[in-house]
Amino acid sequence: MGGTPGVDALLDRLRATLGATNVLTGADRSPYVVEGRTPDVVVFPGSVDEVGAVVQQAAAAAVPVLPWGGGTAAAVGPPPARGGLVLALKRLDRLVEHEPGDLTVTVEAGRTLETLQSALRARGQWLSLDPPDAERATVGGLIAADASGPRRHLYGTVRDLLIGVTVVTADGSVVHGGGKVVKNVAGYDLPKLFVGSYGTLGIVVSATFKLRPVPEEERLVALTFDRLKDCGAAARAVLASDLIPTALEILDAAAGGPLGLSGVTLVVGFDGLREQVDAQAETLAGMAASLGGRQPTTLPAAAWTPLAAPARDAFASPAAVMSVSVLPSSVAELMEQGTEAARRRGLASAWAAHAGVGAVTGVLAAEREATTVAAVLTEWRALARAAGGHATLLWAPLAVKSEVPVWDDAGPAGRIMQRIKAQLDPNNVLNPGRFVAGI
Amino acid sequence: MATLTTDRKSALRRELEAIVGRGGVLSEPDELLVYESDGLTLFRALADFVVFPTTAEHVAALVRVADREAMPFVARGAGTGLSGGCLPSEGGLVISMMRMNRVLEVDYENQIAVVEPGLVNLHLSWAVGPQGFYYAPDPSSQQACTIGGNIANNSGGPHTLKYGVTVNHVLGLEVVTPEGEIVWLGGKTRGALGYDLAGVFVGSEGTFGIATKIVVRILRKPQAVKTVLAVFDQIDQASSAVSAIIARGLVPAAVEMIDQLTIQAVEDAFGCGYPRDAAAALLIEVDGLRAGIETQAARIVEACRESGAREVRTAADEAERLLLWKGRKSAFGAYGRVSPAYMVMDGVIPRTKLPYVLGRVNEIVAAHGLRVGNVFHAGDGNLHPNILYDPRKPGEEARVVAAGAEIMKVCAEVGGSISGEHGIGLEKSDFMPFIFTAADLAFMQRLKSAFNPTGLCNPGKVFPTRKSCGEAGPVAYRPHPIEERGLAQRF
Repeated sequence: MGGTPGVDALLDRLRATLGATNVLTGADRSPYVVEGRTPDVVVFPGSVDEVGAVVQQAAAAAVPVLPWGGGTAAAVGPPPARGGLVLALKRLDRLVEHEPGDLTVTVEAGRTLETLQSALRARGQWLSLDPPDAERATVGGLIAADASGPRRHLYGTVRDLLIGVTVVTADGSVVHGGGKVVKNVAGYDLPKLFVGSYGTLGIVVSATFKLRPVPEEERLVALTFDRLKDCGAAARAVLASDLIPTALEILDAAAGGPLGLSGVTLVVGFDGLREQVDAQAETLAGMAASLGGRQPTTLPAAAWTPLAAPARDAFASPAAVMSVSVLPSSVAELMEQGTEAARRRGLASAWAAHAGVGAVTGVLAAEREATTVAAVLTEWRALARAAGGHATLLWAPLAVKSEVPVWDDAGPAGRIMQRIKAQLDPNNVLNPGRFVAGI
Repeated sequence: MATLTTDRKSALRRELEAIVGRGGVLSEPDELLVYESDGLTLFRALADFVVFPTTAEHVAALVRVADREAMPFVARGAGTGLSGGCLPSEGGLVISMMRMNRVLEVDYENQIAVVEPGLVNLHLSWAVGPQGFYYAPDPSSQQACTIGGNIANNSGGPHTLKYGVTVNHVLGLEVVTPEGEIVWLGGKTRGALGYDLAGVFVGSEGTFGIATKIVVRILRKPQAVKTVLAVFDQIDQASSAVSAIIARGLVPAAVEMIDQLTIQAVEDAFGCGYPRDAAAALLIEVDGLRAGIETQAARIVEACRESGAREVRTAADEAERLLLWKGRKSAFGAYGRVSPAYMVMDGVIPRTKLPYVLGRVNEIVAAHGLRVGNVFHAGDGNLHPNILYDPRKPGEEARVVAAGAEIMKVCAEVGGSISGEHGIGLEKSDFMPFIFTAADLAFMQRLKSAFNPTGLCNPGKVFPTRKSCGEAGPVAYRPHPIEERGLAQRF
């Protein structure tokens, strides 16, 4: 059983609690392999109580617990040191409560974003989050990984929309934070604590979000430039204008290719009443000439999906993906410098950014020896830091990860994070060793 | 800390003066009196010292002295809080942030500003206004309250319906930890590295440390604003108009409700143009692009008419708009016309429960032989029942407190919360079990221990006391010294 001590006795208890069909120990664990490491066991609890029981049993057996939603971010972080127990939440997939008049929804963590959105859209509302892989990504997973997409430019990220959580903690107890009202300052803001915590502090089992009405009209407009520099200047001009875009994307030629775009492209999203969308598209067209771009074209609605996974389709088999946070004004320059850093070492790269919020993704092509890839990534990180930001190595082969840390150094704040982890998960049961500051 | 000997106190005073300078320490009882309460004068507590640092290093040095002496300490802004959150409930040190009030940096291109915690909220909007920007969170006390205090309470305001509360506008904080270390949580860029410590710090009511620099978003002023006043003969009609607006897919910048008692007080005081005989009025604002603003206003007018509004009018110009808002924002002051004192409640409910809960509020207050005025953020279900009373009448204050507790219970029962923007502080710590289980509170205590292991940073707040309510009950009202001198009013 993968060499983790205490697993055999644990398996018996898990089967007794969940029923044998909800406890996988054979080849059927293959979808849950992370970085070549097969978990000791994969379980599918069917209720919050069962999640609590599983965590208690695993903790008692000193087997680490890896919470699992759709698996879309499972490879983020250093690989798990041990096989451990994958706690899959897919059976907790109910839509608990949607009251359109309150513009809120409470939903269990294992429901996919797509099935949540389709239920909400049927009643004229939506959760204003548009991360990639919505058909697989779950509510719990998008909280844990702080997943977002292009519309974060106007509508913010999970932290701005999550108003309540129910969590199973490291000792198996159930804790609530926040609530189901849109404005609430009673007690500490536990929802914020779990956003982007990658399952290291507790397992989110249900969540309550603020919603928005579905806009009457939505449009994506593309402006093409010869140089990144000009595209960056155009993005800044849009930010400084009266326009209220929902998305502001910069794609270099490699990232734009799969969308049928040539050259460097600024993609601007608008929504609202038809007259608002028309007026904004017209204003943008008026700005285009003075910004040095070609005349704007309207992209099909299907283009939203690739924009959510920046530069993902640029190369058939990428060597590494790095995400970088910088100030919006530094985005285009960082993309230029990053491209050049890769080129100097003989590697092609593709870059895309949610430019208005400074969220940049760089993808390296053509896998070479790990040391070359690592050298480029190290340079990218240095560029991010020089621009006052930070970088996360979202995906790379293990050989590269062993040379380039996944997470940046969190500095003195890292010590506070370690103390939070020690307080809330003293026995280091939840997703150990995969997060910032060695957590 | 009441046990400090005179000699010890003198020695400590000299040490504090060595940190912040001779003009930066208060320790005489009459000077300390000014800092014995915040905007909620039901609670009072005296500090041993009030100190006025001007740098983060000062704050860190002060905190290290407090830590060494095992002396409780609490940061204080303008003292406009309404839950007793900044009171030195166990004596010790009050660290006033009022001399750290600068705008340190404005980056218009990236739409952020770096400010000190003692900066008055509205002063930030003034500072960036000439460039066409403003700071969105707009608590009613924004002319006096500080950004640091807003951080502690995660303050809201009328326009948070569309623009979010304080935490939605904070990217990073430089804080002095309860052990006296200066640490950045978050920064100028989006996307936390690791846990969202800045997000957790906001709203922690001063129990996680003291913010010394704050990175906030500033927004471009909208191209256009439209303000609609809808007047109703029944309060239920106004409540259902709120739902009707939401049902039309509109997200106004603000939807505020004002009831009859409040309208009459406002009209007596300021004459803002609200009809005195109306049961309730809604003040609704849409903003954003010039394109479509008329359409949105028209849809709002239609929703109000269909809900039974007897009159709906759109402010003809900026002067009329400001007058309508003056009525809303001055409502608290206007209660002085109709009552010697009042207590502001702060609860939140799901919007759809408005008609039921407003009815219950009126019943509860009436059952205690009191009157209530309601002026609140209807769009996000954030109630502010203001219970009117006369503190000179024996027993009346106790009835106010009892009615307040019952109202909070109703908010909890319908799935709401016991505070939308004023915080828990001292006032509501014993109400926390209305909405949180023992396990929830224990988890929060552990989170607090991670930031504040000694517990010296703002003790006695947020969490329920182990004492019975009777033992720790509030003392009788008397006017705050600055209120007596006419320097401030309670709002």
